[in-house]
Amino acid sequence: MNCEVCRLKELDVEHFEIREVLRCILHTIFFHRALGLVRPKDIDLELFEITYVQCGDVDLEKKIDEKIDQFIGWVEKHPNKKSQICLSFYEVKNKQPSWFNKTERLCWEQWYINLNVTQHAKLHSSRSHHSKPVVDPGERAMEERNARRVALEVALREVLFQIIKFVNEKKDHIPSIPNSEIKTFPYEISIPSSSESGFGMDVLKRMLQTGHPTMLS
Amino acid sequence: MASSHGNTHSEPAKMEQIITEFFAKSLHIILESRSSYVSSRNYSGEQTVSSPSSSSSSSSSIRPRDRWFNLALRDSVAALENIDLWRQSNLEPMFIDVILLKKPIGWDPVQCSPRRDIVRNLSQKEPYPSRNPDQEEFSYEAKTEKIIERWVVQYESRKSRESSSGSKRPTSNSSHILYKKAILLFRSLYAMVRLLPAYKLFRELNSSGQILTFTLAHRVSSFVEPFTRREEAEMQRFGFTPLDTSCGRLCLSVIYCSSLTDVSSEPSTPIPPQFIPDYVGSPMADPLRRFPSLPVSQSSPSCSPFGRRHSWSYDQYRASPPLVSFSPSPTYSESRASNPNSSTRRLPPMSLPPHPPEANLFHKKNASFEEFCFSPPFSTSPSASPPAHISGIHPSKAFPRADSAPVTIPGSKFAYGSGRSNKQILPPSPPLRGTRLSVLKTEKDTGLEHTSAKMEKLLSLGKDESGRYGVKIPSNNSPRISVSRSSSRQSIPDDFDDSDFAAPFFVDDDDMMEPPSRPESFNQKGHMNEPFEPGGPFPVKSQDAAVGALVQMLKAAPPLCRDSTNSINLPQSSKPEIWNTRGESNQISSAPELQQTALSAVVSSGLAMSRTTADAFEELKSYREMKELLLKQGVVSQTLSDSSAAESSSRGTAGF
Repeated sequence: MNCEVCRLKELDVEHFEIREVLRCILHTIFFHRALGLVRPKDIDLELFEITYVQCGDVDLEKKIDEKIDQFIGWVEKHPNKKSQICLSFYEVKNKQPSWFNKTERLCWEQWYINLNVTQHAKLHSSRSHHSKPVVDPGERAMEERNARRVALEVALREVLFQIIKFVNEKKDHIPSIPNSEIKTFPYEISIPSSSESGFGMDVLKRMLQTGHPTMLS
Repeated sequence: MASSHGNTHSEPAKMEQIITEFFAKSLHIILESRSSYVSSRNYSGEQTVSSPSSSSSSSSSIRPRDRWFNLALRDSVAALENIDLWRQSNLEPMFIDVILLKKPIGWDPVQCSPRRDIVRNLSQKEPYPSRNPDQEEFSYEAKTEKIIERWVVQYESRKSRESSSGSKRPTSNSSHILYKKAILLFRSLYAMVRLLPAYKLFRELNSSGQILTFTLAHRVSSFVEPFTRREEAEMQRFGFTPLDTSCGRLCLSVIYCSSLTDVSSEPSTPIPPQFIPDYVGSPMADPLRRFPSLPVSQSSPSCSPFGRRHSWSYDQYRASPPLVSFSPSPTYSESRASNPNSSTRRLPPMSLPPHPPEANLFHKKNASFEEFCFSPPFSTSPSASPPAHISGIHPSKAFPRADSAPVTIPGSKFAYGSGRSNKQILPPSPPLRGTRLSVLKTEKDTGLEHTSAKMEKLLSLGKDESGRYGVKIPSNNSPRISVSRSSSRQSIPDDFDDSDFAAPFFVDDDDMMEPPSRPESFNQKGHMNEPFEPGGPFPVKSQDAAVGALVQMLKAAPPLCRDSTNSINLPQSSKPEIWNTRGESNQISSAPELQQTALSAVVSSGLAMSRTTADAFEELKSYREMKELLLKQGVVSQTLSDSSAAESSSRGTAGF
């Protein structure tokens, strides 16, 4: 089975925008891959004049938020670094069950979300302390900020269109829908981990973690 | 999905069904987020709740329509009607124009409607007017309209397709694959309509508190005038990948204005939120509260605003016009606002969907839809579930009643305040809810000895009581009952009447705090009213029941009062029946009496004031004297056996 890959345009985001932007993108992708019966939920972004759609699955929403939290945690440790989030959809193969889950997964689609987390806000504020500008620094910072935000909104909109176009063009690789009760295909959201480990390491680590329930609480 | 309704059908039949539903779903998705809710009448306060973002998630029931393409949508009146129309049109192409109407400042929203003949004629052969004809006549003002989106849904049969383009061969013709691809396409479409610039306008239109200088209309037709080159230059096109079917393909595309900034930046007039009691509570406004489940076909065009009223409130308002001046809506819209999820579900299309002028049927529909569009508070509830409506009902009742309560506190139009005032005036009521025994006991405790021998006194008390209540009862009595009966609610009618009956009265919060000790119906009620503050309509019931209990007591209890019911001058003919009902329900609900008894000792002060313990004691004394007198006279045995004689003798003593 071929695995289609969609690499989304990179977005320059500030730290405080990460959550909304990621939610918007991830949910939009999931909405297009949740082919069971859904009752869509419109969500208006707070930072941008964009409305995106969720497929109304609470568990999914929770998982996405968890992943975003993890990602933000990673970003805080690695500031000013480009980062990538990969959302893959896979099929679980009906083989003999082995102890190692990973082998059973057949990935049929991958989405790469590229973010460039910047620290504009802090730069602005620190600069405004030192500078002796003609224009009011706060005002200028504000203007820059607005301009930057507008740019991000446009870019985010483009990314959403990119998703729609991809969905629209590539339809043949999608596995058949088992039944309308199952909302979404199996998926995996992988974020860069602190050790820069790959997918396998990530899985292994999670397994180790779950082996020690005390650490989870 | 295809298999779910397809096993019995042949493959072509399935295909055909999918194709038909494809049109329907496309239209539904598009109009759901384009046909504005702003209607001629509800543009002010109630829109607060209709943020588009709150969307469709509230309704839990899945209808067959929702199952199509695994996408459950909220109802869009405009879409549904147009779908019906389109179904008759035999797979003609469907053009959905979204039209931006700009209007001058000072424009009256009541008069909004597309003006088709001024700026340009959008379609030479426009099959349907895009708005209700009777509203059309308002529209001759300087307005401009512009098509900002044109969606085209069409089915190209194989022949025409082959002649026009040599597209690749379909990979598979199976209906399953078609269906799956259609699901995907509709996901994209759904997300897409929210990304296009017009959606921003749609949102603005549905955000609250503003009169905007524009509005959105739509037009669905099978012919359109093509755009001019110049127009087309300003627009962008997005085409969804056509879906191949066994003998053709389904195409969906949109041409849209990429920039609408000039519109949204126009000044708008904020309207401060305000109560317009005459407006919202008027008979014109009341019909707006409507059950979402209201069948479409019930209305008649001429009397639609009134004739279709289905709910209790209809009867109520009709029967007692004075009540009209109070409107529940302020309360409701607020409570609604806190519930954004359900808000947008059924709202009116800004412009009513195109209808063939000759199709009266659709005008009817139109009217009805329009009305129920105007009723966000009710229509937004996911289903016409009893709790919602009942909770909705009470305050509206409470308000008028409160106003007519014996002691009117100036400005206390909220159920709350008046409830409190009533509490003070009518303390003895709670104890009366109990069984007779406990009631008597309580009354003794509280010094209300008038129930003793002096029937005259007792009767006069009865009159007093009925007088007190009478202010409220006569006007609302009968309509209420008929309404509650006719409603399909599950709550016990008697019980409901009860609560109705005494709506303005309120019992202490304690009353509400102890639902478990109440009979079931009580619990229900308490539950239904949860959204409201504790002082809300619920506790009312006990007072009401108290009245019932009093009557019951008067009728049945002491040997002396055998004739009492006859002599009580009831304000209304319908009253005895109700009171009886009350008494029964009261007997059923004997559980709460204990608390009530206890409560009454604390609460009862107001009425007791007028008849102090001393008074009562005097009465008792006189009774004893009389009794002794009678005993002395030696005719005791006969007179005592005859209650009427006793009554007459007691009457005699009343003079002392």
